[in-house]
Formats: sequence, structure tokens, C-alpha cells
Amino acid sequence: MTKILIPQVTAERLKAQLNRRHFLALSGATAAAAFLAACGDDEKKPGTTGSTMGGKVDKNINLFTWADYDDEELLNSWGGLTIDIYGSNEEAIQKLAAAKGSSGYDVVVPTGVFIPQMVSEDLLQKLDLSKIPNFKNLDVAYTNQAWDQGNQYSVCKDWGSTGFMYDNRVITTPIVTWADFLAACEGPASGQVSVLDTPGNLCGLYFWANGIDWTTEDPAHLDAAEDYLVNTLAKHIKAFDSYPGVTLVEGNYVLSQAWNGDARMGYIAHEGAGGDPADYSWALGGPVTELWMDNWAIVKGAPNPDGAHDFINFILDQDNSVKDLEFHGYNTGMADIASLLPDDLPYADMIFFEDAQVATMHAGAVNSAQDRLVEIYNNTKAAAGA
Amino acid sequence: MHRAPRRSLRLPKFALALPSWGYYVAFFLVPVVLIIFYSFGTKIPGSAGRTEFSPLTLDRYRDAIKPTFFVVLQQTMRISITGTLLCLIIGFPVAYFMAIRIPARWRGIFLGVLIIPFWTNFLIRTIAWRIVLSPVGFLSNWLQDIGMRDSNIQVLNTKAAVQLGVVYNYLPLMIFPLFVTLDRLEPALREASKDLGASRLKTFLQVTLPLCAPGVIAGLLLVFIPLSGDYITAAVLGGADGNMSGALVASQFLQAQNQALGSAIAVMLMGSILLVIAIVAIISFAFKAVLHRMRKVDIPGTRGDDLAVATNG
Repeated sequence: MTKILIPQVTAERLKAQLNRRHFLALSGATAAAAFLAACGDDEKKPGTTGSTMGGKVDKNINLFTWADYDDEELLNSWGGLTIDIYGSNEEAIQKLAAAKGSSGYDVVVPTGVFIPQMVSEDLLQKLDLSKIPNFKNLDVAYTNQAWDQGNQYSVCKDWGSTGFMYDNRVITTPIVTWADFLAACEGPASGQVSVLDTPGNLCGLYFWANGIDWTTEDPAHLDAAEDYLVNTLAKHIKAFDSYPGVTLVEGNYVLSQAWNGDARMGYIAHEGAGGDPADYSWALGGPVTELWMDNWAIVKGAPNPDGAHDFINFILDQDNSVKDLEFHGYNTGMADIASLLPDDLPYADMIFFEDAQVATMHAGAVNSAQDRLVEIYNNTKAAAGA
Repeated sequence: MHRAPRRSLRLPKFALALPSWGYYVAFFLVPVVLIIFYSFGTKIPGSAGRTEFSPLTLDRYRDAIKPTFFVVLQQTMRISITGTLLCLIIGFPVAYFMAIRIPARWRGIFLGVLIIPFWTNFLIRTIAWRIVLSPVGFLSNWLQDIGMRDSNIQVLNTKAAVQLGVVYNYLPLMIFPLFVTLDRLEPALREASKDLGASRLKTFLQVTLPLCAPGVIAGLLLVFIPLSGDYITAAVLGGADGNMSGALVASQFLQAQNQALGSAIAVMLMGSILLVIAIVAIISFAFKAVLHRMRKVDIPGTRGDDLAVATNG
């Protein structure tokens, strides 16, 4: 408490500083070591092994794909894959285009309607189908699509549709159509709704409910969609969530627009946690809804195109394709798939649709309305957060 | 005569600063100039984000100045200003406690406790809050078990969750600069204040606090600037309520593939942040000037230095 303390204080401060410096150095070193170790892991890939094609194929590829979309155990049984994730086709295309062929990715999984743009931007390289003999395993219904005739650039990974899942302890009247869905958003589900986090699916809600083709480029339709989404729907939305299935059954939403495989994961998670599947209902939106197909494609400038072909051939093997399907819950388009599946596949009706249902599904389009759709999406998000 | 050649071998003094200048040019100046340049371009329709620059145009700014931008900017500023102030209010006592109240030998441990969360990825730490705040998570169940709530908590996907998330993520950035300034403060100054008859509160307000001003300013800037551009925390915890300006920029780059418009919005966001900082700086200068004038004490026989300056010196 006296002025004579100064030397002691100085000594104490010096000691503290030494301790602190020592500690900082230590923590810095540990962090650096962890970082280096993590980098090192990338190098530890399985080496070259013999392939089904006789020759030696380097089984290390970089896969650029969607979240929660591949069974890692299955991938690891082929070889060494490094996976990077994107959240939308636009994002993937933007990143590949910005890299101008130097992205380092080998395989990408775009949705069909985006493939023409990717081809014209020179982002994909042509497939050599002779290196993918298992291509023959695909049902012809899922080959030779309008966006890539003759499967020059892509082959089907899987396809699916969009519907909704809801907590029927809260929403007691069944929801069948998109118009019902929107009415429920404004009614019992208000403030507890999630919608898919893509411009196309958000605007699709309005178009499907109102009998407008969702590939419309008509400014009047787009304006009407914006008016409804921004001024009416936005305030009822709780989240823009592309993977709401599990989040829904954890009690975060009561009504979610969802892709079929993701909703199925929600059911499986709910049952796994001891819940009763009857708590939730799932339906494909009516009278019309989305049809999408995601495709394996090889990136222009891929470091390992032979490995990429070998991997695509591997995943199109019937047994592997079934494993893939069991993981993500989307139809992988194998010919005669019903005979390949185990009998106890849970919620199979959410994976396979009847012809009458498929007839209601329509593919979207990438056209001149794209920028306007993003603008509507941004404005809806701004209004929802206000 | 003999020394002359040795002198000429010496590098000029600024040579030591070259690495840091190189760093700023490569990682700050070049990107910012690129963004500003792109903001005068136009997206080539139908292309995957290619931009043309002839003619250079201000149209992107016209596109960006829409009600949506200002609505989102307002939400962003509300979150970031509140978040920064909360960080200061929570961070100051913590830093004060660590630097002044804790025995020196324990400080390393306290600093370590603050640093350890940084070993985990930012995103993972944020996602972890989703588990804590989940309506059917352990916190919710526990609150119901002890009878504090009748129903599930509904915090996730609200502004409150975003506010909590940003304070959690940026708090250490406030504590560290405050700790450093408080730690450097001579205890003798506080003792002198006490010896001259100031109460504890008065010592804190008139000695400790003014001397920490550089640390407070550094902390405010370190928290406010990245927080204003952050949209990850908001996207993970806020749901539809967590829309921040950073997300507008990201959606132009990643969804619309419109680098020109995304750049224009980014430039406007930078401008807004600078504007807020300028306003706060002007207010605090004015406040300081007023304080200076009020506290001015003329002591006979001197030049009339005021007390505040005397204590600072």
C-alpha cells in the first residue's frame, strides 16, 4: 500500500509477462501443430491400385458435391476421396468458373437444368462412356435427357422432388396442394415455417400454387410472385433451410418445404429418437411440383480424369448404387431397382413415386428470369428478417 | 573515410517496413481495388458470372440502392452496434478482473481459458449453440425439469440467438486489447489518485477509464468491423430473422453470379461501416472536448493546465 512497493510490482509484472509469453507461444505452437497434422492427413491417401479396367488407375479424386449426399464408407471402399461441399448449383458454377479450370476438383454433381450453361461456359469435360461400362445399369428413362442428349457430359446420380412435411399435432387439417401449404403458413403454422433456401424453390411455391409454369420469364408473373412472397408470406417464415428434415422433428418448425430424401431423413431421425412417425405427415406438393435430377460430371481441367471415370463407373455398379440410395434416400435411377432393394427399406414410398405422381413433376429452367428470381429471393429474405 | 563504404551498404530505414507493406498491398489493397473496379462493371447476361467493363458504369450502384439494402443494413447495424456494446459491457469487467484483481501467476491460466475456444473452428462453435438452444435440447429440458418453464424454449432462429452468437464469437476480440491496456497501467497512478483523496469510483472514472481509451477504441473497432460483415453466425442461428448485409453480398456472388452487383453492395457496406465509425469518432471527440472544458481548473501561478491532462501525464 505504500510507494516503496514499485520494485516488487515490477518484478511481479515481469513474471506475469514471462508466463504469459510462454503460454502464448505454447498455445500457438499447439495450434500450428494441429494445423500441420490436419494438412498432413490430406497427403495420406491410398495409393494406386488395380482397377476394374485392367490398367492402373490413380484412385485419388476431389469430389465437389452437396451436403449429406454420399455414404463415406462406400466412397472409402473405392479409394481416396476429398469432399468439398456447395449449397447451390449457382455457387458451384461460380466457384468453378472463377477458377478457370484450375479448381482441382475432378467430379461435380450439378442439377440437370444447369448443365447447358456449364457446357457453354466450358466448365465440364466430355465423358468417355467406354470407361463407364456400368452406364448400362441405368434405366433408359433417366438417360439421354433434354439438357444433355446422348449423355455426353453427365450421367444420373439420382432424382427427386419437392414436397412438404408437417407436424400434424399442430396442423390438424391435411395439406395436399401448394395452395394449402401457403394457407397453412398464414394460418396455424405462422412463424414456424421453413422454406427451401434457393431462389427457384422459393418462387416455385407461388407459381405451383397459382397454376403458373415455374419456368416463366413473364415479368408480370414474376412481379406478382414478388408481391405475394415479400408482402404476405415473408412475415410467416421462420427459416430458409434447404435441409429442414431433422431440424423439423427436433421441434424447430411445424411445417417445412423439403426435398423427399431430406424429409425421409427427418422421419428416420424422429423414429431413432423414439418418436412416433404418425406425428408427422409428408406429401408431394400438388397439383404440380418440381422434378430435379442431379448428375455425375467431370470438371474441365480435372487433375485425375481416369480416376473420375473409374469412380463414376464404381458408383453405377448395382450394389453400390443401392448403398448410395439407402444413404440419401433418392432414386438412383437403376434399371429394375425394385428387385435390387432390401425388403425392409424404410419409407420406400418417399423414394419411389407412382407414375401418376411423376406426371405432376416438372423440371425447372435456367433462363433470363434467373437474376430476377435472386432479386425476389433477396427481397423476401429482407422482409422476413425485418 | 573508412566508414563511408559501410554506411552505403546500409539499407534505408523503411526497408524494415517492406514486408508489412507487401502484406497490406497483396491482401488488402489489391482485393479492395478489385472489388471497387468490379462494382463499375456489368454482368454478361447468361454467363456464369463473367463481367464486362466497357463501358464502366454506375448502374450497379443504382441497382443496389433499393429499399431492401437499407432494410437489411438497418437490421445489420442494430445487431452489430448492440453486439459491440454488449461485448464492451461484458468484456471490460472481465479484462479489469484479469489484469488488476487476479494475482499475476493466475493470469496465464485465465488467458488460456479465453484462447482455448479459438482452437475450435468458428463455424463449429457457432453450430454448437444450435444444440444448446434447440427447443428439445438439454437446456430446454433442464429448464422445464426445474420448473422455470412450462414449454420448450423458442430461442433458436430468432434475433436473440443471433445476438447471443455474435457476442459469444467476438467477445475475446474485445477482452484482449482491453486486457493489454489495463495490464500496462501503472498501479502507481491509481495509488496516487487514492492518495490524493479520490474515491474508488472516482479513480476508476477519472484515471483508469481515460487511460484505457486506446484499448476500448481498439476493442470496439476489432469487434464492430468484422461483426458488421459477418453473416455466418446470423445464418446458422438466426433463420429468417438473421438476415445480414454480408448475406446480400454472398447471394449476389453465389446465387445470382453477379460479381458487379455484389461488389457494389460490398462497397456500400464498407462505406456504411466507415460512416458509423466516423460518426462515433466525431461524437466522442465532441464529448472529450466538452469534458475538457468542464474539468478545466486554473491553478494560480501555472499556465492553467487542466487536471485531466495532469493526471494523464
